[in-house]
Amino acid sequence: MDGSALNSAELQRLISQEKERAMVNEMVAKLTSACWDKCITGTPGSKFSSSESTCLANCAQRYMDMSIIIMKRFQSMQ
Amino acid sequence: MDSFSSPSSGSSSSQFSTEDFMDQLKTQLAQAYAEEFLETVRGKCFEKCITKPGSSLSGSESSCISRCVERYIEATGIISRAMFSAPR
Repeated sequence: MDGSALNSAELQRLISQEKERAMVNEMVAKLTSACWDKCITGTPGSKFSSSESTCLANCAQRYMDMSIIIMKRFQSMQ
Repeated sequence: MDSFSSPSSGSSSSQFSTEDFMDQLKTQLAQAYAEEFLETVRGKCFEKCITKPGSSLSGSESSCISRCVERYIEATGIISRAMFSAPR
């Protein structure tokens, strides 16, 4: 590998991959923060109650459903 | 190109490879992610566990903080799996 590799298509591909991974991590972080606030109302225990863990899973899935609706609505307005 | 030079790359070559660059990029991304995660956990657990700050951390505040960190890590896993399981 020489210095010109820094401009290669391969490098661009690798950077794209890392960017996508970073975006996914960011989304998980934001969602965890929001869903924690919605679902964990009391003091943290030594394990989650089943309603807390169900709430967290539901929260993530409803957010994804909502994202799809928003995208469709937005697209139908173009 | 000096901003990309890596004194500890271990290579005797003066050239900076794609691999060196990607290693540095991944390391820095991981560090940034870890710092952001820690900052979030600090905020959440301070809110949940330190309701009336005293002159020192009580035993119950300390154990609350430990549990809070574990739960938050667990929550991250639950959210992560739920996001990538089959949508209905």
